[in-house]
Amino acid sequence: MDAQTPAIEISGLHTAYDKADVLIDVSLVAKPGEITCLLGSNGAGKTTLIRSILGLTPPHAGSIKIFGEEIAGEQTHKVIARGVACIPEGRKMFPKLTVVENLRLGAYQEPSEAEIRHRLAEVYETFPRLAERRNQLAGTMSGGEQAMVSIGRGLMGKPRVLIIDEPSLGLSPLYVKENFRIIEGIRDKGLTVFLVEQNVHQTLAIADAGYVLSGGRLVAGGTAAELKSNAEFHAAYFG
Amino acid sequence: MDLFGQYVINGLMLGTIYALVAVGFTLFFGVLDVIKFSHGDVLMVGAFTGFTAAAGAAALGLSHPALQLAATVVFALAGTALLGAVIAKWLILPLKNAPRLNILLATLMLGTALRESVRLFYPDGSNPKAFPALLPTSAWQFGQFTLRVDSTILVVTGILVIVGLHLLINRTRLGLAIRAVAQDEETARTMGINYTLIVLVTFALGSGIAAVAGVMDGLYYNEINFGMGLLLGLIGFSAAIIGGLGNLYGAILGGFLFAALQMIGAVALPFASAYKDVFAFAVVIALMAWKPTGLIPERASDRV
Repeated sequence: MDAQTPAIEISGLHTAYDKADVLIDVSLVAKPGEITCLLGSNGAGKTTLIRSILGLTPPHAGSIKIFGEEIAGEQTHKVIARGVACIPEGRKMFPKLTVVENLRLGAYQEPSEAEIRHRLAEVYETFPRLAERRNQLAGTMSGGEQAMVSIGRGLMGKPRVLIIDEPSLGLSPLYVKENFRIIEGIRDKGLTVFLVEQNVHQTLAIADAGYVLSGGRLVAGGTAAELKSNAEFHAAYFG
Repeated sequence: MDLFGQYVINGLMLGTIYALVAVGFTLFFGVLDVIKFSHGDVLMVGAFTGFTAAAGAAALGLSHPALQLAATVVFALAGTALLGAVIAKWLILPLKNAPRLNILLATLMLGTALRESVRLFYPDGSNPKAFPALLPTSAWQFGQFTLRVDSTILVVTGILVIVGLHLLINRTRLGLAIRAVAQDEETARTMGINYTLIVLVTFALGSGIAAVAGVMDGLYYNEINFGMGLLLGLIGFSAAIIGGLGNLYGAILGGFLFAALQMIGAVALPFASAYKDVFAFAVVIALMAWKPTGLIPERASDRV
């Protein structure tokens, strides 16, 4: 694989979801091994973009490439098989499954039991709390603990590209800080992170590059440093 | 006392059959939130497939009952599993986003179509068929109490199927995927689960289990007919409802409870045993009024 091949390359993407939430001619690139963030307010189309990548809402037009392979319109399980994983907004635990069952679902496409056990051990090392609670039903855990399960589950698939949707939503500031530290750690291990957030300052503090989505269109893009000083971005984001 | 013993065996037998039908309803409701009213008629198709396979095996010179039984079970299972998957793929999944009533009505009509097709197109299909006695007809004698070998085999087989289903759902990767899809379809997809495949496998599984119930019914009563799925389907559905639709163990409990009610209606109450179904369904109605979400409500326990 060419080192310059983008982890995610989206061009000319048009998607309509529930009519209100649309994407118009969106093009962006996420470089491998970087945190690329997508900023935007509610209803800007951030979730629609994620749904398009994951194949949950197939786009009308445009191209989505993961490490050079076209995935636009593919079924979700095939997209996942190409090395994509998602830590969804609101954590989306399977509340009536245990912690370990939730984690195992993250590695659903991995056939080797030994490899799954190895990955479980890694997740337990990152989140010792989950090891203690492995047989507890996920729905009975606190919001912060569920966030750990959700992140752990995303890592269980050993993805090449990890999409994280609003990890700070509904968490206390302490957990938000902890979560962003973990996301930085994930990037430092070489994974490509596509981070979708509303929390501008904390996100730009850890991101390498970013885009701003407003009304379904990209209105700004660049490195994190550029975005921080971009007047257009401030106008779009803060009105 | 020996009569009481016979009723207990009979009740266990029927309870097992009902439980096997009810778990299908609960599996389908679990993964797709649908009521599949053709389930009883799929069971009937399974019984007729098994009956045909037994006759076919006999015609091919396989005279040993065990071989005929093997042919019966294999073809009944495979035929209904395929039928269940076909129904899911071509009828239920396309209607997935339609109003629930449409699916209910569509499967109700499909059930009628299956029933009438067997009646019209199966050779002499409108008359009951004598199901061959493929199990040993001997019996054990305990004092005055007679325990038939065939009944025992049937009850034990049915319970093994239920235990096997429990292990499949709770101990295997497939079962984990089924439970994940039942709880949250979209998140299950993003875990890399092939949603459509899991739905089809679940419908194949539930339908295959119904075929086991259909063959058991045929072996027990030595008779099958094109309308046998109507009452069995209704009872299985009632059992799933009173157990708490979506809950596997509720469905099993509901099946045995319904059989117990029928036995009580037949033995313990001061009217003719012909009223046993009237009594059992009346109690089901009362139970539903008392506990509308079932005896094991879905929220308090695992779905599927």
